Amino acid sequence: MSSFGTLYVDSDSFFHRMEPSLKVLIFALWSIVVFMFLDLRINLILLGMGALFLFFSKIPARIIRNLFIVVILFNLTNAVFIYLITPDYGTTLTGKSTVLLYNLTLETVFYIVTLSLKYLSLLPMVIILIFTTHPSRFASSLSKLGVPYKWAYTFNIIFRYIPDIQHEFKTIANAQAARGLSIKKDERSLLKRIRNLFNITIPLINSALARIDKVTNAMDLRGFGKHQKRTWYSLTPMRKVDYAVAVLALTVFALFLYFRITTTEKFWYPF
Amino acid sequence: MCRIVFQNFTFRYRNLKEPTLCDINLEIESGEKVLIAGQSGSGKSTLMHCINGLIPFAYDGEVSGRLFLGEMEPGKENLFRVSKVTGTILQDQDSQFIGLTVGEDVAFLLENEMTPLPEMKKKVLTCLKTVKMQDYINHSPYELSGGQRQRVSLAGVLSSQSEILLFDEPLANLDPASGKNIISLIDELHKDTGKTIIIVEHRIEDVLEKSIDRVVVLDQGRIVFNGKPCELLRSDTLKKAGLREPLYVEAIKYSNFELDEGHQLDNIRNCGDYDLKESVMNWFEEAEKPRENIRKDKILSLKNVSFAYPSGRQAIKDVSFDLHKGEIVSVLGNNGAGKSTLSNLITGILKPDSGTIILDGELINDWSVKAVGDKIGYVMQNPNNMTVKHMLKDEVTLGLRAGMSKPSKFKLFSWRKKADKKLETALEARFIETIKKCRLYGYRNWPLNSLSYGQKRRASIASVLAREPGVLILDEPTAGQDYSNYTEFMNFMRELSGLGIAIMLITHDMHLALEYTTRSIVISDGTIIADDTPANVFSQSDIVQKANLKETSLGKLADVIGIENKHGFIQHFIDFDRGKKH
Repeated sequence: MSSFGTLYVDSDSFFHRMEPSLKVLIFALWSIVVFMFLDLRINLILLGMGALFLFFSKIPARIIRNLFIVVILFNLTNAVFIYLITPDYGTTLTGKSTVLLYNLTLETVFYIVTLSLKYLSLLPMVIILIFTTHPSRFASSLSKLGVPYKWAYTFNIIFRYIPDIQHEFKTIANAQAARGLSIKKDERSLLKRIRNLFNITIPLINSALARIDKVTNAMDLRGFGKHQKRTWYSLTPMRKVDYAVAVLALTVFALFLYFRITTTEKFWYPF
Repeated sequence: MCRIVFQNFTFRYRNLKEPTLCDINLEIESGEKVLIAGQSGSGKSTLMHCINGLIPFAYDGEVSGRLFLGEMEPGKENLFRVSKVTGTILQDQDSQFIGLTVGEDVAFLLENEMTPLPEMKKKVLTCLKTVKMQDYINHSPYELSGGQRQRVSLAGVLSSQSEILLFDEPLANLDPASGKNIISLIDELHKDTGKTIIIVEHRIEDVLEKSIDRVVVLDQGRIVFNGKPCELLRSDTLKKAGLREPLYVEAIKYSNFELDEGHQLDNIRNCGDYDLKESVMNWFEEAEKPRENIRKDKILSLKNVSFAYPSGRQAIKDVSFDLHKGEIVSVLGNNGAGKSTLSNLITGILKPDSGTIILDGELINDWSVKAVGDKIGYVMQNPNNMTVKHMLKDEVTLGLRAGMSKPSKFKLFSWRKKADKKLETALEARFIETIKKCRLYGYRNWPLNSLSYGQKRRASIASVLAREPGVLILDEPTAGQDYSNYTEFMNFMRELSGLGIAIMLITHDMHLALEYTTRSIVISDGTIIADDTPANVFSQSDIVQKANLKETSLGKLADVIGIENKHGFIQHFIDFDRGKKH
């Protein structure tokens, strides 16, 4: 957590300097490519590019590793369920059946690996978008991309008040613990801990509602919503590099698109 | 030029029966500096909301009579037109700080006005310079103190060029030194820009430290005083309106001095004329000799306690003190000095790295929060953050039930049934006993929502008291409360201490420490720099400075009059005051 209480990691890298709306654009193109193909080769290329990007983004390895672990765990569960529910889906796709063990076919294994890598190859851009974009720059660039500013500003507000709510949660939890309603290990019964947690949410919601009221007044009094448009203090103009990157990104995207149109098979299976 | 004129103005909130403002006739000239005072519920905030347009824009209700801001009638305009001429600095600096950085927050109004970026950057910097915060432009709100946040809020309003500045309880969440600074800043701003300044506050003494053109006192929705501060201080209007007089004025009045029009009490330096001096001196001579302090039994004792956060920050260094039965102690210190860390160590939420914490002869260093909670009660400032149940009874007994096994569901076992019944009777008895202590017996079958704020606070204390702790820790117990609520609450605390409970108040409020506590522990930078009677603490300028406190006006009065024994003078005032009120 940074001093802004958000996920943003303050540093200086190519991606930190990049205009946020461009990052959103690249993320969008990246996701389209990911969902266009069911092709192991493409996923490997994207993962390779992603790894390179992450290397340049100067995001601490610890954060990247933890997120990858979470997504891989998710993929593993997903894989198990696919196998249990549709063990012959690989055969449906390829029309071939190479039995490895009992009802497990090579085709299904290959399908599951491709699908897992497909999800995984989304992750690098998600990480870069979230961890290298300062929230206020993010909101302003969303508005630049055409998102109504009242919606875009919601991002700012959420990022602004998350730490406050966390702090409040802690103080309320402490006060309740001192009354014997602990949510930590010193309450042995898990059921009671859950019930105590529920008890904390009531005052927490009350105070959040009171805060919303105050913040709304504060925003109204300073003219939020007065005009159809607003300017943004934290907006940075597109630089030459950003334009160059945009052109490059669109070109690469066009190549992928061309490849997708020219290949007829939906699922790439080499054997 | 923007005069504010109220003509026979009455306002009633939609959900209330009675009007909150009654027949207000008031004119505020352009460029005036006015203090609007009154206790909670007097209508002072409502009056402010009428001026800044939140009424009727955000709060609905019924208006009669008229209100003008210059040529404009706020009720007939939209909020944005009104906020063009009025800038409001809200009480809660935290909610007012909308941006993620200082610069962004100051720019908020300019952004909404569609100011082009280069011009906006320039204006933001100018506004920040006015409040001397330009070095913090890229800081996040979490890196600023309350006083600094308030300066940023002020800068954010200055960018609008509005002619009227409204300050809603600017002192509410600040320590005494920061409060003093913000009052000076407002004064400078008034002198430099000539804007109309309206301060809504019940802490009259602190606001009057800088000159004020006029004071308007509200009581129950009506104006009960409208005139110069010196006239106000001579009269007994403040007392009647449930407000606190400045301490030095109270001292002069205690000396039975005849005040006439020649006495300009609004400036303490004018209090040095011969007769007045004589009168106060005579009063001071009546002072009793200091009584021997009767030490009662120790209940809590900290020895050489130290604690560092995982980040390495040494928050508490070698702290030792004792707490005795029936004692009320104030813990003072600036933000970040370690007050809350200390209370977290005592309640067991944090564990000390070294040193011992002994409660009633038992070492409690390693006790769980829950176990400590049976003996030491912790009460938060806002009762709404404590209460979780619908009915008073459930709330008060909630903590008790937590320590007991659940009533058996298998009613087949008759011996369990009997045990359950016994348990319920015991709970009921404890409940009745506790709410009697807290003077809530008449409300024993009430839902919490129907209780007043003061009753809710007592209920939140009842829920802690039900477990019969020997020590109570209260976090900022008087913040945001006016004089009469505060007096009622603190007298209740005194009753509790009379039952032998030791009470520890963590506070910024110097009046509170002076009036109600027998000892003040001052923390600065994690160590105790003073542990003495409040009178002694507040008359030592180095301690006052280190802990972000400020000198009391009593000390200043002693200076003006030429009394050397300042702490003796302060102590006499406290003793006399206590004798008078009880």
